[in-house]
Amino acid sequence: MISIENVSKRLGEFHLDDVSFEIEDNEYFVIIGPTGAGKSILLETLAGIYMPDCGRIMMDGRDITHIPSRERNIGMVYQDYTLFPFLNVDDNIAFGLKNLKMSSADIRDKVEELKEFMGIGHLAYRYPGTLSGGEQQKVAIARAIAIRPKVLLLDEPLSALDCRTKAYLRDGLKRVKKEYGITMVHVTHDQTEGIMLGDRIAVMMHGELMQVGTPHEIFNRPKNEEMASFVGIDNVLKGEIIDNSDGVAMVNAYGQGMVYAVTEYREGKVKLFVRPEDIILSKEECHSSARNVMKGKIVELQDMGALSQVDLDNGIVALVTKRSIKSMSLEIGQGIFASFKTTSAHVVLD
Amino acid sequence: MFQKIKENKVKYITIFACLLLTAFIFVQMLCVVTHTTLEALYESMLTDEIQFAIELSLVTSLISTALCIIASIPVAYAIARYDFWGKSIVNTILDIPLALPPLVAGVGLLILFGTTSFGHALEDIGLKFVFTPLGIIIAQFFVNVPYMFRILRGTFQGINPRFEHVAKTLGCSDTQTFWRVTLPMAKNGLLAGSIITWSKGIGEFGAALMLAGATRMRTETLPISLYLNMSCGELSMAIASATILILISLVSLYVFERFGGFARVF
Repeated sequence: MISIENVSKRLGEFHLDDVSFEIEDNEYFVIIGPTGAGKSILLETLAGIYMPDCGRIMMDGRDITHIPSRERNIGMVYQDYTLFPFLNVDDNIAFGLKNLKMSSADIRDKVEELKEFMGIGHLAYRYPGTLSGGEQQKVAIARAIAIRPKVLLLDEPLSALDCRTKAYLRDGLKRVKKEYGITMVHVTHDQTEGIMLGDRIAVMMHGELMQVGTPHEIFNRPKNEEMASFVGIDNVLKGEIIDNSDGVAMVNAYGQGMVYAVTEYREGKVKLFVRPEDIILSKEECHSSARNVMKGKIVELQDMGALSQVDLDNGIVALVTKRSIKSMSLEIGQGIFASFKTTSAHVVLD
Repeated sequence: MFQKIKENKVKYITIFACLLLTAFIFVQMLCVVTHTTLEALYESMLTDEIQFAIELSLVTSLISTALCIIASIPVAYAIARYDFWGKSIVNTILDIPLALPPLVAGVGLLILFGTTSFGHALEDIGLKFVFTPLGIIIAQFFVNVPYMFRILRGTFQGINPRFEHVAKTLGCSDTQTFWRVTLPMAKNGLLAGSIITWSKGIGEFGAALMLAGATRMRTETLPISLYLNMSCGELSMAIASATILILISLVSLYVFERFGGFARVF
């Protein structure tokens, strides 16, 4: 287990502020956040490239804060592959093995095994400059796992690749974790990548760790409004709890009437977060199990590819399929009812 | 036709200026190499004096280039990778020999090695630089080390530190990382720097003249030989030295352009 305890680091315009969290053994841990959030510094501090200004890093109960990179048994893969351009594929993969005092026959066997595992057996004597991005990244992963690190750090490993290669390598990374039992720490700004790969996700913003949780928790139960906005929750209703006797709070949402949400909070000012895909639109007020219904007027329809975003004048944003837009013949200026279930709203104290 | 020229005035004027300057440079070199006959040139090259000058130039320039490499690698690496107190001042001072007229550099070296107790102490242990071939090496080193330093500084700055980070996570110590990753990646810069330093070294005159003097068959490098023979009217001998120097310049310029595309001297 890795435990990061109150780590701070200032490096030019980037910084980490009092970051603490734990990563379990054999976990796929994803760190997401916007550019400049300090994700890469955190990874490089874990790798021992930078020493924290304060705080400590523990690995399996041992303080490794001041242990140099080479003794940490932590592998590193960057977005730009960083294959040594003067070495061919085999020599790149064998680079770390040569530090392990293995015989050249053993090194050769190991390199072959890794190439087969990553599906790059045919690349042997090619130089990095002649490989595609996907091939280079496979070599970089093979090189990093060759020394059987306990932890593999991945800094935006898929960001420079096309969609198909990305999907293939995502599976490759899952296999690495499964076959070799390596704990993976993956930094990305791509939320979909986080959901698809992460056992748990940590969100970082301006050098601080905002929230750690399962993908479901992060995307449905954000801790505050900033987190909600980051994970794409556009519907934020502010209000005050009037009553909560059975676990369903009645909230006076300012200007929107009464809304109901499942929460343990009994009183106080609150914010309700509702994902736009959880909003149901109907032309007439329907009597369904969704207890929250609000009337509004469509002010904007935006094509988002498979889905369309519908903005209402009361601030509600809904995501619906294009087919629904067509079959309901929705258009700007039209009056519409927006409803959501009490369980779809996540309540936080304001 | 005139309409076309009028429309593209800037294009034609600048291209004409380009051709004019090229012709000026080319013609002056042509004048040197065609001034005497091939036989006379060949004969001059076989004389003891020119042979000595070639040998002395080669030996001194190779040694001074090696010294420039040895000194520049750590210095350029430190400037490229680390921040330290007074770095910008150090960086500026390291460039000074580049802007200093070689004659002034030579006077400075002459005073340092000829009149100070530091110079006398070196002399006591057998390192005499004033009016000796050793002085030529030091003069070449002093004047040319900024070229090597600047090219290597640019080269090291151009190597993404992430390569070094990865090497360290793969079990390399700082020293191993430098030998196994940084230096191989700086190969082109090293080659380009060596070539430019060597060719500048072989042509070094001013500082060498001041420190080592111009003694026939003792401190007589190719440029010194050119100077001595011109002064006493031995034109074909002077032309022989000049021709060799031109050839060396052309070859080294080609090699530099070929391998040092990314390196910047200025």
